[in-house]
Amino acid sequence: MNLLEILSYGFIQRALLAGTLIALLCSVLGVFLVLRRLSLIGDGLAHVTFGSTAIALALKMYSAMSLLVSMPIVLLASIGILKLTEKGRLSGDAAIGLVSALGISAGIILASVGGGYNVDLLSYLFGNILSIRSEEVVIAALLCVGVLLLVTFYYHELFAISFSDELAKVSGVRTSYINAILVLLTALSVVLAMKLVGIMLISSLLIVPAAAALQLARGFKVCIILAALQGCSSVVIGIIISIMSNLPASATIVMVNLLFFTVSCVIRRIIHPKNSN
Amino acid sequence: MKSRIGVVILVVLCSAALFLASCKKGEEKPAVSLQVVTTLFPLYDFARTIAGDKAHVTMLLPPGVEPHTFEPRPEDMIRISRAGLFIYTNKYMEPWAEKVVSGIDSRTLRVVNAGERVTYHAGVTEDEHGHDHTKSGEHDHHHDQKGMDPHIWLDFDNAALMVDTILDGFVAADPANGDVYRQNAETLKRRLVKLDLQYRKTLALCSTRTLLHGGHYTFGYLARRYNLDYHALSGISSDSEPSAERMASLVREIRSSGARYLFAEELLSPRLTETLANEAGVGVLMLHGAHNLSRDDMARNVTFFDLMDRNLEQLQKGLQCRTK
Repeated sequence: MNLLEILSYGFIQRALLAGTLIALLCSVLGVFLVLRRLSLIGDGLAHVTFGSTAIALALKMYSAMSLLVSMPIVLLASIGILKLTEKGRLSGDAAIGLVSALGISAGIILASVGGGYNVDLLSYLFGNILSIRSEEVVIAALLCVGVLLLVTFYYHELFAISFSDELAKVSGVRTSYINAILVLLTALSVVLAMKLVGIMLISSLLIVPAAAALQLARGFKVCIILAALQGCSSVVIGIIISIMSNLPASATIVMVNLLFFTVSCVIRRIIHPKNSN
Repeated sequence: MKSRIGVVILVVLCSAALFLASCKKGEEKPAVSLQVVTTLFPLYDFARTIAGDKAHVTMLLPPGVEPHTFEPRPEDMIRISRAGLFIYTNKYMEPWAEKVVSGIDSRTLRVVNAGERVTYHAGVTEDEHGHDHTKSGEHDHHHDQKGMDPHIWLDFDNAALMVDTILDGFVAADPANGDVYRQNAETLKRRLVKLDLQYRKTLALCSTRTLLHGGHYTFGYLARRYNLDYHALSGISSDSEPSAERMASLVREIRSSGARYLFAEELLSPRLTETLANEAGVGVLMLHGAHNLSRDDMARNVTFFDLMDRNLEQLQKGLQCRTK
């Protein structure tokens, strides 16, 4: 099919626009999360969303309304992950694993105790990048602006905690406050983006652009910019490839992202042959 | 001495517990002898009609759950192992059914494949039809979506064949009540014939014969029976994601067919259907696949015939059929 013709469809335009916004959001947050060793927080919080959606559907709250239930629960869960790493002598991956197991098992138990639903749970849980509504593009844009503002405002503090919590604390950063802001923003992004683009896409957009940018970047700011560029361009390129070769959009975007990562690794070997091992 | 008192107390407690447990079991035992477990809603509804008050019929799937993603709980396994009859639709619909049954060690359990007499048709997306569609020669990407369509009950002749197969199971499991079962099955089949006539009459004169569905291929048997041209967004597998091109081509099909409505399937999220309907500027109507019921419908004791009546109303509105 003609590319220009298909670009005239509203759902493709919304996919490109909202996809780019969410990619920007995720890749910026991703740099901090990857450095902070909380990469899998996206997956973990998604599992908690599963549990909270089970509650929402049992209360007969669908789509937008279910966010009213999911949002507070997932925000709490993200703080829970943080507290487990701070006070529970757990590393980030173990804390995420713990909370995500709790989320998924609570969801499964609720699904069978609640005596069934009026709708199929899984079909309501995940969005598809090709089914984004106009008002959801606005939500994505607002969230994006909010996150970028907060990141600019707390840039130095976020920078400090990304490398060493102790060092940041010693130099007077209110680490638990900044950490809380980081995970709360992530939780907000995960819940909304899951509804819009699905879990596969959000998890890869959090991790892969950051991982690729860290291969290349020397400075922290450059790294964030590179990650953002890569995240956004892989959404655009992924959607275009998916149109031209008739592939599912989300999976194609993930693949383009991974390709970027591979290329970044190769470039790093060429530029700094001694550093790479 | 003390230890001996302890033992006595223990024995008393144990026997009390055993007694209570056996009492509970006794209470659970219903008056009828034949226990029937069915998987999906159409089977449940047919089986409970055939059973009347001579057997106790239960449905395995909790309300609202997709049959593909279902996993039996321990209690379900116990229920099946105590049953005399286990009825499932076919291996395409419930791929887990045969595995579940093979894990159960029961000599009395009779397993009924309700769809064994039915002729199956492959589920196809419209690109495979190869008829007058202009773009059909352009791409050949939809071959992976082939597979047998499991939604056989939506053709009411098939439903009648399923009733026959289920009846055979009942009669074999409980020959003493055979006449009652046969009589109930006969009434049920008469109702199916009546329903079929009603569909034929209502769908005879419609402004459009194109049934456009913004979801997974479900209503193929229904469309085939009443000579409708069925176009679904995606194939039978409920995990496949539609490509952007397929979405765009369905929008073009909606526009060129002049349809005013796009159909969505009940119980599933209507997100994609709504996106497509907005794009093409048409309304959304709901059809029921009848695999399962919502919790509310279950509580209201809705029957297969209620669902099919509801579908016919929606079809009549969507295809703009004239009533005589």
